[in-house]
Amino acid sequence: MDDSSEFVPIGSMVPLTGPSAADGAEFRNGIILACEELNARGGLLGRPIKPFFVDTCRQTAKEVVSAARLLIEKHKVHAIVNGYNIGAQNSEYEPIADAGIIYVHANTLLQHHDTVMSDPDRYFGCFMADPADYWYGPGLIKFLSWLRDSGQWTPKSNRIAIVSGSTPYSIVISNSMAKAAASYGWQVCFGPKIVQTPTSQWRDVIEEVRATDPAVFANTHFYAGDLAHFQRQFVENPMDCLVYLQYGAVHRTFADIAQEASVGVIVSSIIGLLRDEMGKRFETRYKARFGDGSTPTIGCQSYSNLHHYAVGAAMAGGSGAPGDFEQNRKVAFALRGMIYRTVHGTIRYHPDWQAVVPYPVLTPDPSLGMPHIFYQIHDFRAPLAMIAPEPYNTERFIYPPWMSGRPTETKPAPSANPRGLTEF
Amino acid sequence: MADAPAQAAEGESELDAVWEGLDVLDTGILIWSSDRKLVYINEGFHRSCALPVSLGMRYEDYVAAVAHSQEWVVPGDPEQWAHDKIGDFGTLSDSDFQFATGNTMHVAQRPTRADGMAVTFTDVTAVKRNERELREAKEAAEATDEAKSRFLRAANHDLRQPLASLKILIYNCLQEQDEEQRREILHAMGVSASIMEDLLGALLQIGQLDAGRIQPRITSFQLSELFERIQIQFDHQAQEKGIDLRFVTPHKTVSTDRALLERILSNFVANAIRFTEVGGVLVGCRKEGRGLRIEVVDTGRGISEEDCTRVFDEFYRVTDDSRKQRKGLGLGLNIVKRLADLLEHPIGVRSRPDKGSIFSVWVPLGNIWHSDIGPAADVSEAVGGEFAGTPVLLIEDDEILRESMAQLLRRWGIDVHPAPNKDEAIRLVSEGLVTPELIIADYNLQTRTGLEAIEAVRDLVDDPEMPAMVVTADAEPKVISNIQKAGIPVLVKPVSPPRLRVLMHNLLFEPDFLKQTMGP
Repeated sequence: MDDSSEFVPIGSMVPLTGPSAADGAEFRNGIILACEELNARGGLLGRPIKPFFVDTCRQTAKEVVSAARLLIEKHKVHAIVNGYNIGAQNSEYEPIADAGIIYVHANTLLQHHDTVMSDPDRYFGCFMADPADYWYGPGLIKFLSWLRDSGQWTPKSNRIAIVSGSTPYSIVISNSMAKAAASYGWQVCFGPKIVQTPTSQWRDVIEEVRATDPAVFANTHFYAGDLAHFQRQFVENPMDCLVYLQYGAVHRTFADIAQEASVGVIVSSIIGLLRDEMGKRFETRYKARFGDGSTPTIGCQSYSNLHHYAVGAAMAGGSGAPGDFEQNRKVAFALRGMIYRTVHGTIRYHPDWQAVVPYPVLTPDPSLGMPHIFYQIHDFRAPLAMIAPEPYNTERFIYPPWMSGRPTETKPAPSANPRGLTEF
Repeated sequence: MADAPAQAAEGESELDAVWEGLDVLDTGILIWSSDRKLVYINEGFHRSCALPVSLGMRYEDYVAAVAHSQEWVVPGDPEQWAHDKIGDFGTLSDSDFQFATGNTMHVAQRPTRADGMAVTFTDVTAVKRNERELREAKEAAEATDEAKSRFLRAANHDLRQPLASLKILIYNCLQEQDEEQRREILHAMGVSASIMEDLLGALLQIGQLDAGRIQPRITSFQLSELFERIQIQFDHQAQEKGIDLRFVTPHKTVSTDRALLERILSNFVANAIRFTEVGGVLVGCRKEGRGLRIEVVDTGRGISEEDCTRVFDEFYRVTDDSRKQRKGLGLGLNIVKRLADLLEHPIGVRSRPDKGSIFSVWVPLGNIWHSDIGPAADVSEAVGGEFAGTPVLLIEDDEILRESMAQLLRRWGIDVHPAPNKDEAIRLVSEGLVTPELIIADYNLQTRTGLEAIEAVRDLVDDPEMPAMVVTADAEPKVISNIQKAGIPVLVKPVSPPRLRVLMHNLLFEPDFLKQTMGP
């Protein structure tokens, strides 16, 4: 074991430039805040933690792999902890597995499951600290069914239209949504249709969807700007249906561009800051440190990942440098076994996937899964309303302004079902 | 001879040892003198009884304190009890008392030779509980035994019938010369044997239920999934019989044991089809309280009012049924009843002869957020990945490479169609065995290049834009540039899975992006 006066080098691969630079800056903030808090309390078993950041820019495989190599070879980091880097397709796992260090990320990718399960011994140190993209699909279907079954919303039909962006993330979500629909009484009436993204031109596909007269219109593309244009084009001549937009619409940019058109939109995130006491205290600390313009709901991800890592490494008796497989296996063991409640819910790794288990779509126990949060925009100037799931929600669903509102109860027409069996 | 003070000291220490010994006993001890004063309390008494008792206390005061303490559940009026108790001083008695804590205390009162009295307090809660449990178990065993005897008598009767037929049939078969007749007899023997088999299967199920081997596993799930399974199971039977089987599918989450509910409903549906000759069977639900009543409605022969009360009994068959048409064992509905009892789901039947019957089971509604998402819980790229189900034609002449590449692609959920050469690839496509969305071809095939193979497949399906890529071990710049000139992206072996994945994604879903990155 190294001298206790030496710092523990921790790497972080963050997109500080390029299309995800805004998120990247928050991921960097999260790591900085976690380091400051941990070091103020004595660091990792007495050793201060020192972060090293590398810009992953457009997050291509080449950029992310060279970032991982640089951190391992030059800075000898004991772990790489960050938010997401999409686009690398897990190729960064290879240098990390070769070095035998710990890697904690929030890539939200189903392929993490397969990579880890293909060789659990090799990828022992790779953890995905949020649930896979896949879970967005069944999560949304359950949410819609909950709105329907609890009487908060009376859909005019059981038809869902699904439009997908062209990234793997959007495609996986669209497919899983379509797959889960039938079990809950929904029928996919359009799509999933893949639209070449990025794009700000949605009118053609909106017209195609209009012809199918859906009760729900879901768009799984996730760029905030593109989605804002979608929503503006939708409300030019709205359909009488709910609109669900993928993750990007949680960003401030979305409401800034869509303005009034954004009110009523439903959006979800499989990871996000909670609004309980713990979440609020974090928000206050984060904004005090990085300013009112900062976004704690993004920064909390890398923040939690580093805190969790530090606790795991302390339980294991310390961190391990590149090549110290034995020590890092102990850290991985601690991370896998620990149920860690943080500011955005619970980090509990699935024993086989080494990815976080989502609540409520997979586990019914909120203490054992990370909440898949559903928001609705009630006021485009205000923070999003958190409308599900219990027990974390703080607001309730409202009918979007473009919809005709709760239809009055109409008497069912005489049916070919004289015994009066009702279809729910 | 020892001196007196030393003797006294020794006696005192022995006495102390006695007191200490009495103190550590679990049993509480009180000793009263002949003038009814309390002269001894051991520690055990304080530990087991929270009663206001002190040395020197008079017996009358003690009884009054007990009667009004609320610690000791006295039978009847406390005043009367105290009066009787005071009169009992110095008599021998044994009684059990309930304490406010729920414990049962055995109080034994014994007169001393000097007209005083010793009273012991022993906690017998565990003993009493064991006694009660034993008694209940015995009663239950007796009831089960009686039920089992009745059950076995009936089972014996029902098993003997097919057995008797079988014996006659075997005898007839031995005598029979005519081949046609023999076949018929053998068929009848088969039927008898299958009746016995069904009966034994049902007996086994009941045995398991009775032995408590079936433990319900309550989960929340969508009822629609269960209806779908039952529909698949029975559609064929209903069609064969020419009756209409219809499901009005609810979109509700229920909370029960999925497999046991399926057995209940399967039984209802099987019966409904069995006893319906014209019309149909309808399965649906209605909301009732905090649950759903699932009903299986048929237009069959119906059941008389008298029979309705007994259809769930074991081996009960509707009167005249056994003679006219021997159908069913008379155990199905009894199994349903046992399963429903286990799940605590009320079942019911309403019927009118010649009109039809409605069998129903009530199940509680579940929380939709908690509903199982079925096999998707075992999610992987093979079921949920972006390439899941995509048909891909893989042309590779090296058997080992072809197999390992196919394995990788299958892990991503791809529907792989491997071919060792161009001719086989053409055959697969022309015979309609695959309509590929993507072609992956090795460059150096034995007689042709991968480019030619791709060209041939594209010509065959008349799609010059069909996505395709070439993989090659030949990193010769001339070869690579030839492939690129043909407008086909290329990967050099050994192929890195992430690179392959990105290229496949771009070819299938983001072709414009690929054109930009490939450049001139």
